[in-house]
Amino acid sequence: MGGSFTKSLGAFALFAAAYVALVFLAPDEYYQLMLTLVLVWAIMGISWNTLSGYSGLISFGHASFFGLGAYTVVLLQVYYGLTPWLGIPLAGFVGALAGVVIGLPTFRLRGHYFALAMLAYPLALLYIFEWLGFQEVAIPMERENPAAYLQFSDMRAYALIALALLACAFVAVRLIESSRFGMSLLAIKQNELAAEGAGIHTRKWKFYAIAASGAIAGVIGGFYAVILLVVTPPTVFGMLTSAQALIVTLFGGIGTVWGPIIGASILIPLAETLHAELGNVLPGIQGVVFGVAIVGVILIAPEGLFWKVRDLLYRRRGADAGPAYTVSDVPLIGERRHDLSGRTMLEVKGISKAFGGVQAVDDVSFTVPEGSIIGIIGPNGAGKTTLFNLLNGFQKPDKGEVLFEGENIVGLRPSAVCQRGIGRTFQVARPFTRLSVLNNVLVGAYVASADDDTALKHAREAIALVGLEGHEDRIAGGLTNIEQRLLELARALAGQPRLLFLDEILAGLGSSEVNAMIAVILRVSEAGKTILIIEHTMHAMLKLADQFVVLDHGSRVAVGKPSEVVRDPTVIEAYLGKKWANRA
Amino acid sequence: MTENMILAENILQALAAGLLVGCLYGLMCTGLGMIFGIMRVINFAQGDLMMLGMYSTWYLFTGFGILAFMGAIIGPIVAAILAGPILFVIGYYMHKFLVAQVTGIRVAGSEGEGHYAQLILTLGIALILQNGGLIVFGSEPVSIRTPLSSSAVILGPFWGDFVEVFVNKARLVGAGVSIAVVIVLFLFVTRTRIGKALQAAADNSEAALYMGIDVDRAYHIAFGIGTAVTAIAGGLVATYYPFQPYVGLEFVIVMYAGVVLGGFGSIIGAFWGGMIIGLVQQMSTLVLPIQLQNTAIFVVFLLVIFLRPQGLFGRNVERV
Amino acid sequence: MLEIDNITAGYEGVIALNGVTVRVDEGEFVSIVGPNGAGKTTLFKVIAGTVPARSGSIRFKGEDLLKIPAHRRPHLGIAHVPEGRQVFPSLTVEDNLRLGAYTDAGRRDWDENFETIITLFPILKERRRQLAGTLSGGQQQMLAVGRGLASSPSILMLDEPSMGLAPAVADAIFESVVEARKRRNLTVLLVEQRAVEALESCDHGYVLETGRVVLSGRQSELLSDDRVRQAYLGM
Repeated sequence: MGGSFTKSLGAFALFAAAYVALVFLAPDEYYQLMLTLVLVWAIMGISWNTLSGYSGLISFGHASFFGLGAYTVVLLQVYYGLTPWLGIPLAGFVGALAGVVIGLPTFRLRGHYFALAMLAYPLALLYIFEWLGFQEVAIPMERENPAAYLQFSDMRAYALIALALLACAFVAVRLIESSRFGMSLLAIKQNELAAEGAGIHTRKWKFYAIAASGAIAGVIGGFYAVILLVVTPPTVFGMLTSAQALIVTLFGGIGTVWGPIIGASILIPLAETLHAELGNVLPGIQGVVFGVAIVGVILIAPEGLFWKVRDLLYRRRGADAGPAYTVSDVPLIGERRHDLSGRTMLEVKGISKAFGGVQAVDDVSFTVPEGSIIGIIGPNGAGKTTLFNLLNGFQKPDKGEVLFEGENIVGLRPSAVCQRGIGRTFQVARPFTRLSVLNNVLVGAYVASADDDTALKHAREAIALVGLEGHEDRIAGGLTNIEQRLLELARALAGQPRLLFLDEILAGLGSSEVNAMIAVILRVSEAGKTILIIEHTMHAMLKLADQFVVLDHGSRVAVGKPSEVVRDPTVIEAYLGKKWANRA
Repeated sequence: MTENMILAENILQALAAGLLVGCLYGLMCTGLGMIFGIMRVINFAQGDLMMLGMYSTWYLFTGFGILAFMGAIIGPIVAAILAGPILFVIGYYMHKFLVAQVTGIRVAGSEGEGHYAQLILTLGIALILQNGGLIVFGSEPVSIRTPLSSSAVILGPFWGDFVEVFVNKARLVGAGVSIAVVIVLFLFVTRTRIGKALQAAADNSEAALYMGIDVDRAYHIAFGIGTAVTAIAGGLVATYYPFQPYVGLEFVIVMYAGVVLGGFGSIIGAFWGGMIIGLVQQMSTLVLPIQLQNTAIFVVFLLVIFLRPQGLFGRNVERV
Repeated sequence: MLEIDNITAGYEGVIALNGVTVRVDEGEFVSIVGPNGAGKTTLFKVIAGTVPARSGSIRFKGEDLLKIPAHRRPHLGIAHVPEGRQVFPSLTVEDNLRLGAYTDAGRRDWDENFETIITLFPILKERRRQLAGTLSGGQQQMLAVGRGLASSPSILMLDEPSMGLAPAVADAIFESVVEARKRRNLTVLLVEQRAVEALESCDHGYVLETGRVVLSGRQSELLSDDRVRQAYLGM
């Protein structure tokens, strides 16, 4: 990661040098202003990207932060004579604060609702600022000491300051990208529940993201006010401001710091030039260009130019054909002693959950001794997955207790449950497809690692334990079904759990793959992990579990040794069917 | 006249205006609600399609002889209703060639992929329509003046000759037409074969396909109808409200607030949602300065989103 | 009647079906068994047209099915009763059945079909005005099967009708399907995880694992095969 960081800094230095040259080559102030505006929108795009690109929460309201930043600078100078040199950093602070204030209620929403709610804030602010009488606020001219008030007669100065701001934003975002902050956001974007289950405190990171994003937007909004000299609510809070932030990013490439830079470099000059040339004849041409750009990019390259080009190059070079995982890699382990004498690790006491009148889990109790493998079986819809969700905090039980090593963990966030030492895999494997195997597992390792080196060590150990050594650099999107399952198991193990929940980890595997997976699970068990496993089919579980808990219609209908449970008449009646019994 | 009477008159005046504007908003919301309810597409361009409806009404009225033929009273209403079919065609093909193309495209690599792509795509379409409108129609506001625009029905007097309520005739007629259109739409959706197919496609598009329903086409039709309904509402609004190419922005939040309020996916709910927004907007003028009229809508909108995201009239049977 | 030849299909890089060949003759009852995630549902979706095939061919009554858009296929006489029932929850039971009869043949034979459906599943007549979303799992499955029958199909494809149901309820549904087949001379293609029940009433059977047919044969051959007995029948 360090290498790629230096490399991208080098690339940025080249870009900056070329840009400086361009600024000095620009024939007049008009072009110098345009070059400045490109940087302004690139930074605004980076701001949008920091929240929406990395975390996947699409915002239509970034104009809120931008406008508040602009008004902060202008009003402070008008009323208190404060120089923008101080006003702009303050605008960043206001933007961050606005981010947190807006995030506080809005993060309760997801998807569409989040996007729509974000749309409402800048429009509401627009009306409020008009009503407050700030229809048009001009920055007072300072003749005494213009430079102290960020007022230069040479337009190039602004371009250079904007470039410096972009450099700061670039470094900040690259640092975020390559840290656990960025990794956590990526995980949230791909699957918020899985991220939470891997021990990532999703709410906390979302707040960091919106604060960082708001700060960047506030700063650049403040700077924009300085170069435009006049601020009106529609120019800073208007729909086009939010839209432009989104469009330059999506056009250039979402989720990469280069995206907004590329997008702004192409779209802003295009729109400005057309506006200058044709503005009299075709007054709305700028907006049309942005509209066409975004429609085109969604239809042709929905993640933006950067990724499209990268994917093309990548494909030409050929996908990295790492050695495929083979089932025989896994050494089998000898016969298992079904030992249930360990001290009680997890105790579930009378747990219940209803959804709209349907009792999904009904007064279920059982215990999990340390070192055991407990199998929860039952037909589809018996409440197995709901039970798991109750146990590790994805849903809150209506009543009952879950004691993990004596502590009641009901009511804890999934990430907190994970921190206590309970890991889980999901029924549908969801690797982070663009990341390598190693980085996928690394995301799971952060929860139990104080620093990144420890995380790396834990990740490698987990990969070794499941037998994916030698596959670390493969891209997760290209893995086969069993590899994805193993990857997910490794991700859970990397969080150093003492208790592991496995949700239908055998689903979709062929008979030989089932045997391989069983061997891996037994090895994980030998490594000292206690395991609670959900399975739909009985056969594989007979080889694996020390004890069965049978669920049907949300109730526990039987508990016992596998060999006894399959002969239990209630189990046969509820789950196996009488035909099964007739044949057995 | 006592202060109480003035207050009563103001309240009644605002209530009457709110009910009438509410009917028109209800109709707009019904169009958007249909699109969201059936396809789960958030159509950002709905306001701008409404703007096209307004201009269509205007051109039909002034340019195609409807004024001369039908006169200034019936003419605008006929023109507004005729704007429906025009915008149906636009909506149908806009969905077919643009919106439907991105179903299932991953954008931002996040969950709910296709919907974001559609959301952003319609944002692009909105920008094109707004600014293209500026090029084609110019920025000068236009209005459809009819004799009704400036005349009023007087209700009352109440409380012994003092309290009277003025009701703008153009709004009154608009409200009546709105209710009629919503009823026709409701009957269409619940009683006809195509309507049933649309409902099935909304409920479970995959299963609808297994029934032999051409779900793609059902979606184009639903988008077309939703567009047409909002366009008719726009045409009716145009009879008392001057407009320009950016007018859509003023209404897009009204529409979203109404649809969210009514509960995504319910046609009648969307109508009531729009009605409530109309009432809130008009009643808010009693206590808030007029510039903050729309801010009141935002507040209601945000409150509903936070407190009851399924809407006030959300469906009982929740689909996954 | 239905010839599935060497079909390969998948989602985003993961191959779900890898060269599957299945043949269903007119009037036959064919069962495909296999564990969760073996590709059974994907195979049905390829036949129905909601998942595209990457290679291979499917012929139905001699026609190249893959060239026909998904929404036209039910009109040819293919009724797909999907996994997880997928009734229209906010419509009534009767509306659900009427949507089943969306095909021309279904509309023509509505009275007769409706009679058959309510004879097989009397509860549906009782509940005809109720919203389908409020039915129990078993009743929804009956509705889904009934909806399939309402289209006057020549082949009825059932995707795991026992899913999430108590064995007794599932048995009742299996029996109704056998009964319907007798009355209407239907061809039936069934995929199931419950191998015992699925193989019991079939003429031909296939075992699907990780997207491949690992075994196929007549019912008696499969029931006596050691691997099937061990892996699927639990013996």
